[in-house]
Amino acid sequence: MGRTLPSITMEFMQEQEAFGRFRRALRRSDQLALDDLFSAARNHLAAAAYAANALPMETFLLSMLLEEHKEVMRLRTLVEGVVAQQTPRLHPPAADEGDAEQP
Amino acid sequence: MNEITGWLLDLYSDTRDGLVLWFISEGGERLRLRQNFAVTFALAGPDERLRAAWRWLQKQPEKPQLGRSQGRDLFLPQPVTLLSARVANAAAQPHLFERCARAFPDLAYYDADVQLALRHAAVYDTFPLAHCYVKYDDDHLIHELRALDSAWDVDPLLVPFRCLMLEPDCDPQHDTPRKLKVSYEGHNCELAFEPIRPLLINLRAILERYDPDFLLTVWGDTWLLPLLLAESERLNLPLPLNREEGRGVGHRKEKSYFTYGQIVYNGQQIHLYGRCHLDQRNSSLWGPDGLDGILEGARVTALPIQTSGRTSPGTGISSMQILTALRNNILVPWHKQQVEQPKTALDLLHHDQGGLVYQPIIGVHSEVGEIDFISMYPSIMVRCNISPEKPLPTFLGSDEEPGLIPLTLKPLLEKRVAIKLALGHMPPWDPRYKRYQAASSAYKWLLVTCFGYLGYKNARFGRIESHEAVTTWGREALLIAKEAAEDMGFTVLHMYVDGLWVKQEGYNQPEQFTPLLDEISQRTGLSIALDGIYRWVTFMPSRLNSKVPVPNRYFGFFQDGSFKVRGIDARRHDMPPFIVETQMDMLKILGKAETAAQLGEYIPQAQALLRRRINDLRRGRVPLDKLVMGQKLSRELKVYKAPSPAARALMQLQAAGKDKRPGQRVRFLYIRGGSGVWAWDLPEKPPKEAIDVEYYRELLWRAAETVLSPFNAVPTQARAFSFTAEGTRMEQAVEKEPVYGT
Repeated sequence: MGRTLPSITMEFMQEQEAFGRFRRALRRSDQLALDDLFSAARNHLAAAAYAANALPMETFLLSMLLEEHKEVMRLRTLVEGVVAQQTPRLHPPAADEGDAEQP
Repeated sequence: MNEITGWLLDLYSDTRDGLVLWFISEGGERLRLRQNFAVTFALAGPDERLRAAWRWLQKQPEKPQLGRSQGRDLFLPQPVTLLSARVANAAAQPHLFERCARAFPDLAYYDADVQLALRHAAVYDTFPLAHCYVKYDDDHLIHELRALDSAWDVDPLLVPFRCLMLEPDCDPQHDTPRKLKVSYEGHNCELAFEPIRPLLINLRAILERYDPDFLLTVWGDTWLLPLLLAESERLNLPLPLNREEGRGVGHRKEKSYFTYGQIVYNGQQIHLYGRCHLDQRNSSLWGPDGLDGILEGARVTALPIQTSGRTSPGTGISSMQILTALRNNILVPWHKQQVEQPKTALDLLHHDQGGLVYQPIIGVHSEVGEIDFISMYPSIMVRCNISPEKPLPTFLGSDEEPGLIPLTLKPLLEKRVAIKLALGHMPPWDPRYKRYQAASSAYKWLLVTCFGYLGYKNARFGRIESHEAVTTWGREALLIAKEAAEDMGFTVLHMYVDGLWVKQEGYNQPEQFTPLLDEISQRTGLSIALDGIYRWVTFMPSRLNSKVPVPNRYFGFFQDGSFKVRGIDARRHDMPPFIVETQMDMLKILGKAETAAQLGEYIPQAQALLRRRINDLRRGRVPLDKLVMGQKLSRELKVYKAPSPAARALMQLQAAGKDKRPGQRVRFLYIRGGSGVWAWDLPEKPPKEAIDVEYYRELLWRAAETVLSPFNAVPTQARAFSFTAEGTRMEQAVEKEPVYGT
């Protein structure tokens, strides 16, 4: 059973391989970060296949960006929560503030 | 004139009598009748060539009745002018056609190589085991034949047929059988193979006295019947395997072929006349409950039982399409003329795709509903009227008259849905239960294959664009379902071609999913059902990268206690029973957890089981037959450059005078030293000390790791003593690392 077109996974692997020289020249720590980016893109292979873009790398890059943005949003929510807990309130309501308006 | 009602058992051509039909009458008689049944085939081409063919055909000894007519070729817009040749004796037609095709290879031929049973079915609505009314004269010539039931009846009358079962006492590939187990109607006996003369005499007596309709054998095609026939000839002791007197058995050669990425082996076949021979080891439809799947397959495809029992579902669905064509006056081409139309690269990019396969959300999930479209692709073909002669659909539906493929599929689909619905509320003790299950399974494969055949270049009624349209609308339907689920507040954990895994907080009862199912059905027009609600299910990552999800690698337990596993070691056909059983036993322990939160209580038990099994392995307490691997040969032995373990085992078998063909499974043990393997079908067994315990321990470890890793519960100790110095052989089983260029 032959294949007329490569599957999206095959295309992904080809694109990843194409960056082999780039990856080799990176520091080890950067190589690991790059591998993480490619792993993140793999989460959206189904959507990339459905999109059937003639230049799939665009979709893979967008997938990386998507995962990065999800991570940013997650961290932002986390940070905002921590900040909200730790920052002292500038104008804490006085205990008897409500009563003051009472006639 | 005589009249009977009874069931059609067998049908074949005969040089003297034309068409022979065997019936089992309601009174219990076995009747051989004959029928005048002329067969017509047609030629098309330039006028002068047709005139030449006319002159040639007139001179042939078969004396066909010739005529000019017009017919409809499904792939051509205009009717085709034909030279039709009507042959009075059905047995003579194949020979005449063969000679004609050799003499006029430039002409197109129609209705030329259609099976006789299908031609008969098209005219008389017959099928194997059809309940029929027959009127015949004293010369056994049929004057009237009517089918009283239909292949689409869900509960046909049960046929009172007689079965004789023959089984050697061991696998002839493995050892030399000593006895033949014979059983029929409550009688059981064993006949010794040595000496063979008494066995033949006894078997002949049983055949004559009991006169079975079905001869059900184990290794009958490939070993038993060839042996019995050879011996009966050598000893001049005729063995009445056939009911038809004076006729030899029919032989079909063995073959290996490549399909869906793997090689398949079909052993040689032995067909009988007037009686059906089926070999349990040479029939894909033979189920745990015996004949039901084969008989149901034969009923709907109208292929003879002996053929239907051994052919692939592809041949079955192809026969159904031919039958629909014959009944609707559509010509059946001998060779398909059409090829794929040119298209742009962008068209190809958009349409040459398979089903939508998502990457699941890795991890353990509680209370997850699995919902599946019922027979998604066949339903799309029927709903969207996808057929080679019809325009491609532009929405999930159609306004046109149904084409050939939907006409073929619709009754089959409806029968399967009716059976599935009935099974849904039928208790397992119901006498119909097993038959329904076998039928549902047989139909499933026919329906699935129909989609594949649309895209098969040699399929007579295939067209790649139609095939692509099915997957296109399959992807759309799945996305519509995803959108409906998300609109209703569900999280979609995974999607796989025709199924979705969805969850919503607090949703754990089937009726809570009904509004979602209704909404999807309403939006897509396709039937969808809840497969079950998982108490918990785990989607696993790739073995090599824990951040990368794998679409078809998961296991989970439904609320009713049943479980589903995909993509794990226990599902592999080559795994030894010891590994499969251990992995499944560990899963069953985890399955006792009612919720994902309770899993922690059962993980130590699963770990303890693993330790016990590793101990059994180290101490040689695992029986050798539980360690047997079974791998398929992918090619001829001489083609191997670096022989696989299966190929090395085959070399040993060949040295011992045994052989296997590509597509056949070779069983072997891993041993230390030598070639590293020991063929299981060699006469001697290896000593227990020779077993490569380290290798099996590594396999066991991997299987256990699969089960325990989603819970971060892999015991480090087990890993420590399972490391092996020679880990290279494991490479065949593991996924490849992502490769970067250098």
